[in-house]
Amino acid sequence: MKNKSNQRTAEAKKEKLLSLLQKHGLNIYDNLDQGKFPQFIIPSRSVNNIVYDKKLRQYILGNASAVRSSRNMSQLRSYTQLAWLAFFVNRLVREGKSSTLRDIYYSSQAFSIDFEDQPESDNIIVDLEAVTLSPREEFHIFPEERSSVFGDLTIEYTVPGYEGKRMNLSDHPDGYLIGPSLSSAELVDTSAELVIAIEKGGLFTRFVEEKVHKKFKSIIVDTAGQAPRSTRNLLRRLNQELGLPVVILADGDVYGEHIAMVIKSGSANAAHLRELTVPDAKWLGVWATDIEKYKLPTIPMTESDIKRIYDLQKDPRYQEGNWKKQLEVFLKLKRKAELEAFSKYGLTNITDKYLPAKLEESKSF
Amino acid sequence: MSKETFSQISPSEFFYRNRDLAGFSNPTRSLYTSVREFVENALDACDQKKVLPDIHLSIKAVDPEQSDPKHYVLTVKDNGPGIEPKHVPHAFGTVLYGSKFGLKQARGMFGLGATMAILYGQITTNKPVTVKSCADEKVIDEFVMLLDIQKNKPVILKHTTKDASKTGLSVSIVLEGDYSKAGSKIRDYVSQTSLITPYASMTFEDPTGEKFHYPRIVKEMPPPPTIIKPHPHGVDVETIRRMIVDTHYQIPAVDNKMIEKIKKELGLQKKSLTTKDMLERAQKRWADLSRPVRTIIALMSFLNVDFDGLQKIRIDDIDVANKKITYWDFGESQSHAIEIDSESSYYKQLANTIQGDTLLTFLTKRFQRVGPTTAEKFCEFAKLKPERRIGSMTNEELVRLADALQKFDDFLAPDPSCLAPLGEEPLSKGIMKFFNPEFASVMQRNASAYSGFPFVVEMGIAYGGGIPATGLKVYRFANRIPLLYDEGSDVVLKIVNEMDWSRYKVKGDPPLVIVSHICSTRIPYKTVGKENVADRPELERELKNALQYLARKLAVHMSRQGAADMEKKRANLYAKYVPLISQFSTELSGKKKEPNYKQLIKMGSEIEEQI
Repeated sequence: MKNKSNQRTAEAKKEKLLSLLQKHGLNIYDNLDQGKFPQFIIPSRSVNNIVYDKKLRQYILGNASAVRSSRNMSQLRSYTQLAWLAFFVNRLVREGKSSTLRDIYYSSQAFSIDFEDQPESDNIIVDLEAVTLSPREEFHIFPEERSSVFGDLTIEYTVPGYEGKRMNLSDHPDGYLIGPSLSSAELVDTSAELVIAIEKGGLFTRFVEEKVHKKFKSIIVDTAGQAPRSTRNLLRRLNQELGLPVVILADGDVYGEHIAMVIKSGSANAAHLRELTVPDAKWLGVWATDIEKYKLPTIPMTESDIKRIYDLQKDPRYQEGNWKKQLEVFLKLKRKAELEAFSKYGLTNITDKYLPAKLEESKSF
Repeated sequence: MSKETFSQISPSEFFYRNRDLAGFSNPTRSLYTSVREFVENALDACDQKKVLPDIHLSIKAVDPEQSDPKHYVLTVKDNGPGIEPKHVPHAFGTVLYGSKFGLKQARGMFGLGATMAILYGQITTNKPVTVKSCADEKVIDEFVMLLDIQKNKPVILKHTTKDASKTGLSVSIVLEGDYSKAGSKIRDYVSQTSLITPYASMTFEDPTGEKFHYPRIVKEMPPPPTIIKPHPHGVDVETIRRMIVDTHYQIPAVDNKMIEKIKKELGLQKKSLTTKDMLERAQKRWADLSRPVRTIIALMSFLNVDFDGLQKIRIDDIDVANKKITYWDFGESQSHAIEIDSESSYYKQLANTIQGDTLLTFLTKRFQRVGPTTAEKFCEFAKLKPERRIGSMTNEELVRLADALQKFDDFLAPDPSCLAPLGEEPLSKGIMKFFNPEFASVMQRNASAYSGFPFVVEMGIAYGGGIPATGLKVYRFANRIPLLYDEGSDVVLKIVNEMDWSRYKVKGDPPLVIVSHICSTRIPYKTVGKENVADRPELERELKNALQYLARKLAVHMSRQGAADMEKKRANLYAKYVPLISQFSTELSGKKKEPNYKQLIKMGSEIEEQI
C-alpha cells in the first residue's frame, strides 16, 4: 500500500514538473511570436534573501526575486543557457534518462550553449531549481557519486528496465553508491533500528568489518565529507518513511560539527529546496568535550579553522544548547581531533567503547 | 710645498676637455650630435630669414671597407641666407661666437654645438672643416680651416671664391663615428625633424647609399619670433638689480679725463674759472650737459670744493632720501657726512640723475606688457610708492619688489611673440601625414613662464589607423628639435606615465602616439647634451593640461567608436541567441512550428544600452 502511494507521488511530481516546464516553454514561445523579450523570474539566492525558518528548522529563501531578461545584453547568454537547460531537462524527464552535473556541462556544447566552465553550468542548474522549486534530482541530474550505504535494507528500483527489481543492501561489503537508481528506488523493508551516518570512507569500511550493522542493528551511511544532497535525501527518507533515528559521527572539529548540522537542518546553498533535512538527527560526536573526556590525541587548529568558528557563531542555529557550547569549547581548546584518533587505544576502540557510550549518552538529548 | 700655477684656459680648450658634457662622449653619440648641430643651425638660419628650408644631409665613409668606428665625411647643405665671408672664419673657427644671444626662441644657443662638432672632427681625424657660403647670390666663398684650440682662433688653410646664383651654406667635416650604431637614431632624428618641421624639405643620404627624402607638407612658415623685454614673473632680485644698474647712474670717478670732459662741455678749454663762476656757467648750459658732468657739478656745489678738492676725496654714497652725502677724505683718512640742502636747485637735479626712473616708469619701460594702470595696481599691491625712484630703494625694498613681481597675478601672460610654436594646423597636418591615424587632435596652450622665460606647449595625440598597436609612444620635441636620448628622465614622459589612461577608455597596448613640443627662449634641459627636459612645476602644469585636454578628446572618440562596436556586438549576440531560444521553446511548449522571432533580433540590436 505504502509503496503504491509513493509511486503515485513520484509520478505526480514528474507530471507537475513537466507541465511547469511546458508552461515556461509556452510563455517563451508566445513572447517571441509577439516580438516581446521573454524573461525568467528567479527567486534571489543572495545572502540578503536567505533566512532561517525556525518552524521548518532550515534555511529558506525570502520573497526577493531577480529578473533574468533576454532584453538585457549582459543577461542574454545566461538567459539562453537557462532556456536550454529547461529544454534539456524536459527531454531527460520525459525519456526517463539520467545525467550528472558534469554531463550537463558537456551536453551543452552540442547545442552551441557555451558554458565557460562547470561551475557556470552548475549555477544554471541551481537557477532552474529555484525557478521550478524542485531539486535537481527531479530533473534526473545527479552529482558524481562518492557517498555510499550499507546495511539490511531492501529496495525496489523504479528506474526504466529495473522496475520492480529488489535488492538487499547488505549483500556487498563495499557498500552501495547512492546514485540516481538508489535515490529513486522505493524503500521496502529493513530490520535495522538505527541509521549511523559517518564522515569518512575509511571508518565506514571499519564499521562494516566490525559488523556494526549487526551489533547495533543499523544502516551505515558514508557521507564522504559534507553529505551530498542525494545522501541527505536518503537519510531523510530512512527517517521519515521507515521511522529510523539518524545519528552522525564526524571529526572532532568545527567542520565535523557543521556536517552534522547540515544533515539536520540543511545548508544556505539549498535554501530554495525542501525535503533535504533530518530535523531529528543527532550529532553523536566527536564533540569538543569528548577530546578532553577521552584524552584524544590532537593537532592545533589552523587560522581558517578558527575563522570558521567565528563565522558559525553568527549562524542562528548555533545560538543555544550543545551546538553553541561545543563551538565555545573548540575555540577555547584551539585544537582538533580526527575520528581516527581513537586508534591510539586500539583499532576497535571506536566501535567497542566510544560508539556504545555515545549512543547511551544520546538517549538523554 | 709644491708651487701651484694658475693659468687661464680658452673656451675651446675648456670644451675640448669637457666634450662629453656637450654630447661628444663616444663615436656613436658624437656622429649623432654632429648631425643634429649642423641640421639645426641650417634650419635656424632659414627660419630667421623666412626661407622655406631645403636641407641636404649626407654621411659618407672615408673608407667603406673599414669597420666601425671609422672616419666619415659629414656634409650639411642648406638654402638659407649664408654667412658673409668676413664672419665665416670666426663663426666656424671660434668657440662661443654666434648670432643667437638675444632673448628669442631658436633651436641652438650661442652657436656652440657646431663648433664643438668641428672641434671633435679635428681632434679625431686631424682633418680641416670645409665651409662654403654664399650670402649675396653672386659669389660663393670656400674656406678650409683648422681651429687653434689654445688660442681659440681659426687657422685658414685655403680660401677660394667662385661665381654663384643662390644663397646658402654648406659645412663639411671629417670625424670619427660609428654609423652602424648611430644609424637608427640619425634616421629617427631626420624623420622626426620632418614631422615637427613640416614646412621643410629634407634629404638624407646615408653611408650605404640609401636616400631618405621627406617632402614639404605645408607651404606656410610659422610666424618668426621677435626679441622682447623680460616678463615680470621671470625676474629675480639679481636681475632687477642689474636692470636698475643700467637705468640709474653710478657715481662718476673724478680723474683728469673727467675734468677734461667737464671743461669741454662747459667750453672752458682755454680759460680757467673760479668754482663759483663755473657753477653759474653750468646752470645756464644745464640742459646740454651729460649726466656724469651734472652729477659732479652738483656735488661740487654741495661740498663747496674745486677740482683739486674733489680729487682729494672719494664719494662713498649719495643718499638722496636722507639728504646726505658721505665721503672719505684721503688727507684726514676719515669719513665725513654732510647734509644736502633740499632747497638748493641742484637737489632735484641730483636726485633725478642719481636715482634713475620712478618705479612706475621702470615697470612700464623695462618689462613687457606692463601699462601704467597695471603698474599702479602693482605698486599698491607691493606697498611701494609709484613715484619712488628705483635708485634709492633699499635692499629690503628690492627683495620686496622682486617678491611682489612674482606674486602679483594681474600681469598679462608673457608675450609669446619671442616664441615660435609650430601652430595647430601645421602640427596637425604633420601628424596626419606622418602617422596616418584614425583619430588625431592637437592643441596649443597659451604662453606661460618659468623663472622669467616664456614657453608654449604644443601637443598632439593620434590613435589607430597606421599606428601599430604596440603601446603608447611619445615623440618629444623642444624648439623644433626631436629629443631621442635619455627618454626615461624627461618631464613629458613623467606626465604621460602619471596619466590614468583607463579613465580615457585607453586599454592594453594601444595604437597611441603623443607628440609634445615645448617652445621656450630657454628650454630647461637637464644636461648640456640637450636630450631631456627638467620637471619645472610651471612646465609640468602646462603639459598636464594639454595632455588632459587631448585625452578627453580621445575619450570622446573612443566612446563613439565603442558605441559603434557595441551595436555590432549586440546585433551579433541577438542573431546568435534568439534562434536558439526559439528552438528550445518550440520543443518545450510542444509546438510544431517555430515562432516568428525575426523582429526580435532586429529590436535587440537597436536597444540603447541602459547603464
